[in-house]
Formats: sequence, structure tokens, C-alpha cells
Amino acid sequence: MKPNFLEIIDINKKFGNINALKNVSLNVSKGEVICIIGPSGCGKSTLLRTVNWLTPPDSGKVILKGEIIGSDTGKMTFEQNRSLNEFRARIGMVFQQFNVWPHLNALENVVRAQIVVRKRMRDEAEKKAIKILNEVGLKDKIDEWPDNLSGGQKQRLAIARSLAMDPILMLLDEPTSALDPELIGEVLSVLRNLVNEGMTMLIVTHELGFASKFGDKIVFMDAGEIIESGPPNTILKSPKTERLKLFLEKLSLTSL
Amino acid sequence: MKFDISYIFDALPRLLEGALITLQVAILGFCFSIILATFITIVKTSFNSRIFNGFIAFYISFIRGTPLLVQIFLIYYVLPVFGLNLAPFPAGILAITLNSAAFVIEILRGGLASVPKGQFEAAKSLGISGYALWWKIILPQTFITSIPPLVNEFTMVLKATALLSVITVVELMRVSQQIYSANYHPVEVLSATFIIYFLMCFVVSRSSVFLEQRFKVKRA
Repeated sequence: MKPNFLEIIDINKKFGNINALKNVSLNVSKGEVICIIGPSGCGKSTLLRTVNWLTPPDSGKVILKGEIIGSDTGKMTFEQNRSLNEFRARIGMVFQQFNVWPHLNALENVVRAQIVVRKRMRDEAEKKAIKILNEVGLKDKIDEWPDNLSGGQKQRLAIARSLAMDPILMLLDEPTSALDPELIGEVLSVLRNLVNEGMTMLIVTHELGFASKFGDKIVFMDAGEIIESGPPNTILKSPKTERLKLFLEKLSLTSL
Repeated sequence: MKFDISYIFDALPRLLEGALITLQVAILGFCFSIILATFITIVKTSFNSRIFNGFIAFYISFIRGTPLLVQIFLIYYVLPVFGLNLAPFPAGILAITLNSAAFVIEILRGGLASVPKGQFEAAKSLGISGYALWWKIILPQTFITSIPPLVNEFTMVLKATALLSVITVVELMRVSQQIYSANYHPVEVLSATFIIYFLMCFVVSRSSVFLEQRFKVKRA
């Protein structure tokens, strides 16, 4: 049997007394777009952050293309730390708060990690950055400082910064939640292009419209557990559990 | 005794030589203190070791809780007891460095607190770690927000060097003492000294405005 592209196996994570993740397992195949939904505090962001070890899980394994990310013993050796950085360079991450670097202009934001991590020459890195900034529609903002960009532009810059590293997997943590409603569209259209290019993505989102249209699978989490998962149509139209029903009802109430 | 300006002109060349030494001590001491404080800040944040952080907290409260004059004497007169003999100039720089570092550590702590946690996370998520994480991403932001307090600290250092005259560092204050104890005209000589100190500090504190302007676009 062909191993899965990304395997998340029995992840547990506690913050103090709170079980943020309880035996969470998830398989992702190449090119799959998985949307993770659930009430706030249900552990969906934590799940995403354990994939690239930004939040190291207490127990469990994350396996990307057959290789274990981080360590399954809790302690990290020097060697494991180095390979973790290599994993992270291949896994793009986009944050709710953008986290673009304010002391660097747009071009430098996209160039920096290419030079530092990928060891590319400046010419090559700049060429690539310009091409990607063009793709996300920031062609005329190349010399701009992040503080002069709108939220939507910042988020597209953050996506460009990740894409410049040629990621094989993208993690998106509520990429549109901090945006004004009229700016959400421009970010979603960039994500739509990524989906069309066949990028494997894990997206924590509240955009059910986007999830149902472009997600291959929707995962519903509550209280640190995966309650239901399946194709968007089944999950959104005929929820099996009471909790998911309740959650969807609340969401549709707010969209009235 | 009337104010005779010719004594100022006579003293000026030697006073300016002294001012040069003052600048040397201040700049060297401050640079070393920034290097030391930056290093300590990185270690403090990266390892979060209770023993190390406790030691640094003790060091800072010790430096802040005692007069600089006493610290200078301690380094110049007490270190030789333990076999470490320093000439006045290096002893002066060491005293300035150790004293100023305590304050710079606190300044950088504030600057670092203004850098959101997400900045670290974004860098890490791209595979940037260790040296590059600090040097390329975190420290530039920390120092840009710390410009005003750092410039202020440098003016404090510049003025504090006057205390080094007590351990015979031949800086501006020491030179002026030498001159007026020979010609018995302290009023003229000290006035000139006063103005030279003021001019140096004035230029330094104005540079804050320039530096802030220079980096303003980066934080708008």
C-alpha cells in the first residue's frame, strides 16, 4: 500500500490542565485540500501548529512522505533540529495575523528566507520573489513597506513569502479571519489558484463557502477531538452528530 | 578675579585632546556594553534558564543599586587584589561597559517585548533558526524600537565618563583639573569643559532624531 503523503498519528497535547488535542489522527494525500472547522478553542489551530512542530505535541507522530517530523521521544537531538528546519522550509505556513516582517520591504520579505535557508543567490531569489509577488497581485507593491499595505495585501505578501520556498504542503491558520469583509475575496482568490495548481493544503477556516467549494474534505473538531470528517457535501448538508449540527446552526445564524 | 577668556583659548587644545579620550572611552564602553547586552538578551530568551536569568537579574539590581563611582573604584582598586591589574584606560572602559550593559539589557528587554511572538513563529515556520533568526529578523526590529532609549543611554555614558577622572583616566574632566590646578583659573577652564560636554551630548541626542527619521519608514 502506498503510504499517505502526510500522516498525523495519535497526537496529544496538553496546555496545563486543558487537553488541547486528544488522540488526533488524520491522513492527507497529495493534492488534497482539507478544511478544518470547529468552535474557537477546539484545538484546530493547535493541530495545524503541531504539523510543523511550532507547537511540539506531547505524544504522537507527524510523518511527511514517510519521514518523521521533529521527534517522537520528546527530546530533540542536534540532527533532528536540523532536519526539522528542512521540513519547515518545505511546509509553508500562513498566519491569521500575517506576521510579515515590518523592518523589510515587500521584496525583502520574500527574498530573505530564500537566501538564508535555501541558500539561493540574491539574483535568483529576487527573480523568484518578483514572479511570485506578481502572481499574488502585488506587482506594484514590491518596494512598499508592510505597514503601508492593507490587511489583504499583507496576507498575500505572507503567502508569497511561503510560496517562494517551493513548499510541498501549506498550512493556513485562519488566513482571512483578521481581514475586513471586502478584503477576504482577494486572499481567497489567491488560495483558489493554489488549489487549482494542486497544492496540498490544511486550512483552518470559518469560510464555509470556500470550504465547500474547494475543500476535498472537511474536518470538524470540538474539544480537542475530530468529531466528524468527510466530503463537504456530507458534512455540511447532513451532519451526523449533534455537536456539528449545533455548530452549523450557530454559523448560519451569524450569516443572517 | 575677573573672567579672562584668554585662559580658555590657552586650555582649549589640551581640553579637546581630553574630549577625544572621553569620546573614545564612551564609544568603546558603549559598544562593548551593547554587544554584551545583546548576547545576554539572546541567551536569556533562547534558553530561558532560571539560573542564568536569576544571575542576570541579580547583576542588574547590583549595578542599579550601587553608585557608579563605587563600581569604578571597585574595578580599579579591588581587582588587583585578585591578581587582575588594569591600567586606568581599560579599567575605565570595563567599568563603563559593565555598568551600561545592565541598563542596555533592560532597554533591549523592552524592545524585544514589542516584537510580537508571531515574528519568531513566521521565521521558524520558514526554517529560519538560530543565528539567522536573531540577526536577520528579531534584532533589527528590537534595535529600531530601542533607538530613543539607547541614544539616551549613550548620553548618560558620555557624562558618566567624567567620573573616570578619579582613577586617573586622562579624559576631559581630568585634563581640566590638571589645567586649573596649575593656573588657578577654575572658572574659565571649567566653563570651557562644561560647554564641550554640553556640545557633545547635544550632538548625540540630536542624532536620535536623525536615526529615527532614517528608520521611520520601516515602522511607519
